Amino acid sequence: MISALLQVLEFVALLALAVAALESYLYFHFTYYDRKWFLPASVAAVLVLTLAAAGLVLDAGRAVSWAAAAALVEAVTALVFSHLVRGRHSLPVMLLAPGFIGLALLIAYPLVFEVYLAFHDLKLTTIMVWSRTGRIPFVGFKHFFKVFTSSPLSSVSFWQLLGRTVWWTLSNVFCHVAGGFALALLLNNCRRLRGVYRTFLIIPWAMPQVVAVLALRGEFHSQYGFVNVMLERLVQALPFLAGWGVGPVEWLGRHALLTCTLINVWLGIPFMMVVILGGLQSISQHYYDAAAIDGASAWQQFCHITLPLIRPVLAPAVTLGTVWTFNNINVIYLVTGQAGGSEDADILVSALYKAAFTFYRYSYSAALAIVIFLMLFAFALVWLRFSKGSESAYG
Amino acid sequence: MAEPRLPVGPALASLRRRQLVKAGLTHAALIAACLVCVYPLLRMIAVSLRPGDRLISTDLALIPAGATLASYARVFAETNFLLWLWNSLVITAVTSLIGVSLAATAGYAFSRFRFPGDRLGLTLLLGTQMIPAGMLLLPLFLMIMRLGLINTYLGMVIAYSVSSLPFSIWILKGYYDTIPRSLEEAALVDGTTRFGAFYRIVLPLSTPALSIAFLFNFTQAWNEYLVARVVLCDAQKYTWTLGLFELQGQFITQWGMFAAGSFLVTVPVLLIFLHSSKWLISGLTLGGVKG
Repeated sequence: MISALLQVLEFVALLALAVAALESYLYFHFTYYDRKWFLPASVAAVLVLTLAAAGLVLDAGRAVSWAAAAALVEAVTALVFSHLVRGRHSLPVMLLAPGFIGLALLIAYPLVFEVYLAFHDLKLTTIMVWSRTGRIPFVGFKHFFKVFTSSPLSSVSFWQLLGRTVWWTLSNVFCHVAGGFALALLLNNCRRLRGVYRTFLIIPWAMPQVVAVLALRGEFHSQYGFVNVMLERLVQALPFLAGWGVGPVEWLGRHALLTCTLINVWLGIPFMMVVILGGLQSISQHYYDAAAIDGASAWQQFCHITLPLIRPVLAPAVTLGTVWTFNNINVIYLVTGQAGGSEDADILVSALYKAAFTFYRYSYSAALAIVIFLMLFAFALVWLRFSKGSESAYG
Repeated sequence: MAEPRLPVGPALASLRRRQLVKAGLTHAALIAACLVCVYPLLRMIAVSLRPGDRLISTDLALIPAGATLASYARVFAETNFLLWLWNSLVITAVTSLIGVSLAATAGYAFSRFRFPGDRLGLTLLLGTQMIPAGMLLLPLFLMIMRLGLINTYLGMVIAYSVSSLPFSIWILKGYYDTIPRSLEEAALVDGTTRFGAFYRIVLPLSTPALSIAFLFNFTQAWNEYLVARVVLCDAQKYTWTLGLFELQGQFITQWGMFAAGSFLVTVPVLLIFLHSSKWLISGLTLGGVKG
């Protein structure tokens, strides 16, 4: 427990050292680029430092070749600094460097690695070899064909998953916006206790998602969950309802996707509500007064004042909400992810997660991930062209 | 056209009545919505208070018959609950610290300097939010495995450290934009360097935004489940999300302990969120509110 803490602190210290080294390197190149000794000194320093560092871990021959390569790279870098950069933009580059190197290592590099994986064959049988030697067989487009022809899980097909994903995204976003709009309008019309209501209404968003989903999952238990208990009591109280097919439902067994959707709707409404309420409060009351004097009905006011004026607020929120919902693994995995859980509720991204970490089909899931990413990318391009939703994000 | 007349006498009374009915309906609808939002939390408390022999029941009472705190005692005594919280705390604190330090400087560069690629950089940061989390997870997992960091705090810290960075940079950039440049110019006249002006003038003034970015990083990492699921496999290293999932998954008899643990974790998170919600929300909806 404490040793692990020390390990983490040691890492933080190392990280700070690395950042300091990076910054001094940049500072040197930005400040002394026009001295005569700049090029030879920086190449010599890099040569010596790499030789020393590589000599500690590698044998002599390889250490020398590494140091030579590093010196060559440094010569080019130094030339760039002395002839092109010439000390300009020093502070922003130094401020940005640590963050962007982090992003490059932990977001850009993994994306490239994912493409590499998709064209090679990494699975449970080859992973031990890979982790020792770093080699995996090349297989070309095989996994991309498999994405469309075989099941990512045990039986459900890619096209079924795609259909479910579309349904899941559309129904969730629609319910979030409709529910959020209704609650925001109610809150906006309500003078007293607004703050109190708002606090309570935000709770689904504020709760840790894991807790909320697992607790709600329990409430959909076929025998002891709140939903079925209520349905049963309702039928007992009003027996004629049973004739209409009302009664306890096998939520998790038969209607897993519907259950996930209900849970996610509950979770997602507060965000939309808050965004829309912010937008509503920024609309001046004068418009409504003017419209009322002209005799506009409440519905007309809503259609011709509220909706057009809320659009710039709503469009980015809907874009964001669509992407979040499309990419939502959490809810579906937490509801159906346990051993023996069904795959009736899986959408594309949760199938991706399960293919990689339940079925250990690494390369296959990398190919699936790229297909999903390209689809999302195409959607984003089309959507942005139509809605111009990104403009307001620049402020 | 006749001038609009102010309502008098009976007309005023009927207007009042209509307004009263409308307000009543609004309150009724809002109270119903609040109940839907709060009820699962109340049920969690109810289940956590149930005595062990009546855990499984169709009882809907909020304070069950024979209410007891036994589940709370058991969750501390029979599980590693405190250890899970400690694990989460270490990982989350270090992650947030790294994330905020990186975002604080990068956000300043975007706010105050024009350099080639600044617009592109900001757009790319926004673009990273589009990447499915599940997509990055596999290569990250394999990298962590290759580095021999599976089942360590370090692996978790590395996996989490930049995940909230793009958002934090946007939040902080937005806040720096609101600080007048004249303050820094005055400091420059007085002889500080540009970095000194940032460090001594802008950074202290940005404490609210920095704490929001920290909080955002913190809640993201604190509530995270999917990465922890694949990186950590030893129950001694579990974060609380994994621990509670195990409790909920194993047997229905653990239901009381799960509810008790969940309640204990939820309360502080809820209080922090509600306390800072105004700020957090303005950051989260940055793009929206500004439009």
